[in-house]
Amino acid sequence: MTTLDATRPHDAKPGPEVDNYLTFTRGFLSWALTLDHKRIGLMYLVSVLGSFLVGGIFALLVRTELLTPGATIPGVDENLYNQFFTLHGAIMVFLVIIPSIPAALGNFVLPIMLGAKDVAFPRLNLCSYYLWIMGAICAVVSLTVGGFDTGWTFYTPYSTTTSTGGVIPVVTGVFILGFSSIFTGMNFVVTIHKLRPPGMTWFRMPLLLWALYATALIQVLATPVLAITLLMLIVERVFLIGLFDPAMGGDPVLFQHFFWFYSHPAVYIMILPAMGIISEIISVHAHRHIFGYRFIAFSSVAIAIFSFLVWGHHMFTSGQSPLMNTVFSLITFSVAIPSAIKIFNWMATLYRGSISINTPMLYGLGFIFLFTIGGLTGLHLGTLNTDIHLHDTYFVVAHFHYVMMGSALIAMVGGLHHWWPKMVGRMYNERHGIIGFALVFIGFNVTFFTQFMLGSHGMPRRYYDYPSEFQIYHVISTIGSYIMAAGFFWTLYLLVQSLFTGKIAPANPWGGRSLEWQCSSPPPHDNFKTTPSVGDCYDFSVVRWSEEEGGYVVDRNDEDASKPDH
Amino acid sequence: MIDLSSTLANLASNTVLALQDVATSAAPAAAAFAEPVVEQRELTGGFWLPQASSTLAPATDFAFNAITWLSYVFFFGITFVLVYLTWKYRQRGTEVRYDAGAPVHNTPLEVGWTVIPLLLVIAIFFMGFKGFLDLSTPPKNAYEINVTAAQWSWNFKYPNGATSNDLVVPAGQPVKLVMRSNDVLHSLFIPDFRVKHDVIPGRYTYLWFQADEPTGIVPEDQMATTTKGHYLFCTEYCGTDHSNMGRKVFVLNEEDFKEWEETQARWLDEVPDEELYSVAGPKLYLRCSNCHSIDGTAGTGPSWGDQTSGSIAGLGNVWTRTIEGKTPIDGGTRDDGGSTLSDYIGPGKLYETPEDYIRASIYNPGGLLVSGYGPNMPHFKGQLNDRAIDALIGMMKQLDQFDAKGRYIGKAPN
Repeated sequence: MTTLDATRPHDAKPGPEVDNYLTFTRGFLSWALTLDHKRIGLMYLVSVLGSFLVGGIFALLVRTELLTPGATIPGVDENLYNQFFTLHGAIMVFLVIIPSIPAALGNFVLPIMLGAKDVAFPRLNLCSYYLWIMGAICAVVSLTVGGFDTGWTFYTPYSTTTSTGGVIPVVTGVFILGFSSIFTGMNFVVTIHKLRPPGMTWFRMPLLLWALYATALIQVLATPVLAITLLMLIVERVFLIGLFDPAMGGDPVLFQHFFWFYSHPAVYIMILPAMGIISEIISVHAHRHIFGYRFIAFSSVAIAIFSFLVWGHHMFTSGQSPLMNTVFSLITFSVAIPSAIKIFNWMATLYRGSISINTPMLYGLGFIFLFTIGGLTGLHLGTLNTDIHLHDTYFVVAHFHYVMMGSALIAMVGGLHHWWPKMVGRMYNERHGIIGFALVFIGFNVTFFTQFMLGSHGMPRRYYDYPSEFQIYHVISTIGSYIMAAGFFWTLYLLVQSLFTGKIAPANPWGGRSLEWQCSSPPPHDNFKTTPSVGDCYDFSVVRWSEEEGGYVVDRNDEDASKPDH
Repeated sequence: MIDLSSTLANLASNTVLALQDVATSAAPAAAAFAEPVVEQRELTGGFWLPQASSTLAPATDFAFNAITWLSYVFFFGITFVLVYLTWKYRQRGTEVRYDAGAPVHNTPLEVGWTVIPLLLVIAIFFMGFKGFLDLSTPPKNAYEINVTAAQWSWNFKYPNGATSNDLVVPAGQPVKLVMRSNDVLHSLFIPDFRVKHDVIPGRYTYLWFQADEPTGIVPEDQMATTTKGHYLFCTEYCGTDHSNMGRKVFVLNEEDFKEWEETQARWLDEVPDEELYSVAGPKLYLRCSNCHSIDGTAGTGPSWGDQTSGSIAGLGNVWTRTIEGKTPIDGGTRDDGGSTLSDYIGPGKLYETPEDYIRASIYNPGGLLVSGYGPNMPHFKGQLNDRAIDALIGMMKQLDQFDAKGRYIGKAPN
């Protein structure tokens, strides 16, 4: 047995005669009402990338405004600027990064990697997509009724007293998006528990599934706290019930506790699946068994657990007691350990591998580079006395962009390149892909490394105006953001171009071993014709290049099924 | 007759005095009245950190530098290994060179790279913890200054009753700030001192530091543009003018500080009554200038001048539109449905006189809101006394004697 679905010759044109999920049924309703996890994943992907474009435009407006101290863009005053950075943050966090990997890529690959026909609750899956749409509509509505300038953190009492009219619609939107996220997480937990085919034991699962499982646990457990917090905010703003505003007997620091009790774990909702993608990319493109499987798998679970215990490190200067600051600082450092374990294991995976230096692999290596910087600067911020100096400065801005954008989003884009042939059945131009990576990578570092220096010299975040000595750093940072934007537009171009002129993708273009590389590209509607047999998904000894397939084939797929787990 | 002639004589002498004033101050005036030249500052301090100007800054810097050097070691190590391995084991073409002997796990290695980073971060934690204990323990003998933050200004109040918009502190002595907020969250940050703490409505919070090196001080109207002193920023987002809350910290040696504190407490009382509006007015107006322009441009609050846009466009300057009662009113805790100020000012109405309305607008700004403006202004009860209010009202009444920046330029020569 070579591949499980070798029925389609590699040079066949995708069309009605070939069964794949894209052509299985036709018409608008077949997409709008689809229960197919792959189509839902694709719809998520398009929606998330659309939001990324909008959030990115706001980022460019912010960066352009900061080219000079005071007013730069004609017509953009303080109030408009405050709305720009608020919208940038809210869109990127709630509409882009949180759903990007789990809901878009995860939806597509999780059931196939697992060897299942779909997620456990396909209708709930579609429902979560429409909740996302409703949340996005709420955000648009908020713009039509005056916008909002609260910052994405909605800190009270500013958020309950600001005169901008869009606060309630956008908070409602985030509330709804929370349920979209909970439903996705719940679906994944049940899918992984119940829909594993024979032979797919916990320790045979690809590491991305471990990461998505850990992520799903956080989504299900932490997001309800955000929901109730936002509801309380709405109650205070509408009915003037004093929960957070001291003028009405509330406590503003309480809001911060509630908010970060969700929003710190949310950081791991963003980064854990990214780490999962990197585990896949590194081992597949290095054609090398992942090093330290169990340590990587358990470190994901460890991070998920620790993520609930460190929210207070956002509040070292907020007026919480010094004792709590101390405890939170100590626990915060414990998160560094599982992250470090992952980095060292990825490096060890490269040792004695057979490394294809291509676009997904470059994104994977870029991730390790950027995440190392993001992680190490986390030490400056977890340390009590240095955080007192750095808190709420550009140092923090740079740090979380290295983690949330440089790591989570770069992994997402890397994963997109990795699974693109599987999703659309076409190969993109490899050389163009590498150019795109280079632009994004260089642009990113130029933009955000300078912001570390801005911040450590004392430049506060969320500033419209600034003293002139900071200008040179702002100028460099803005130029970097333009390079990065060019890189993303270039990437968009090369991916869209591949749809029309790209080579037909083989089932297994990279030499992967996990199950998604064994069904055709794009996969058939039911993923697998027969229940797949599960081998060691990191054993590349049986992977062989086949000229006639135009891709890799896996020999003796099920022979190692009797081997022990990792 | 006698009254009239004496009035005329007074007027004449006043004019002469004013002209003399202009003449004597002509030379410095040229500099003072010109647009303030912002001296181009260079970032002070080193590659990463600004100058360290408080006694606790060196401990913070030591921790920062230690972590940074550790980061360099890990970062360059990881990058080197990453690039080296990728290059050494690169695959040419499509054929996989599978290495069957490559190890897939190694428990001692895993334990090693778990335990060593763990020991390192525990060491870092203690370094930060020790520094933090010092940062959060103000010495008992600290000199206390009360801080009130509001959208969007700082007010520093000294034990002898002196107040200031910039923070002036004695050198070589611990200083403790007792901080509260009038409205939303703010945060007081002095980068050169490495201190920061949120300022919270409904709570008092502390922050302390000791600066040993005097910086000197400059006249009030140059404070925003001078290179002297240390920056003081608001670092908790607080709305429109969040980035305009930046002020300066000036450190004075003991004698200079005592003298400054004394003058600062008494200056308003020592201004001669006849110069109250022209001397004290502009000084007090500095605190209003963030939101209320004089040149007619619309700001966070209505312009004192004849505003060129919005609901009060073309209604004249603040005093004209108040006495004529034309200012449209919409909202506020004392709004009972009236449409313009004339419904609220006059015998038997909410305010007997226009002056009453102005004073109420400073002490309780949320009472009546000008159409198109929200309840954004902080109240100044306890910060501005009657004499200060007199000075500001006097300035409003004679606004044509001030330039677009609120500086006194004297009476028009007619």
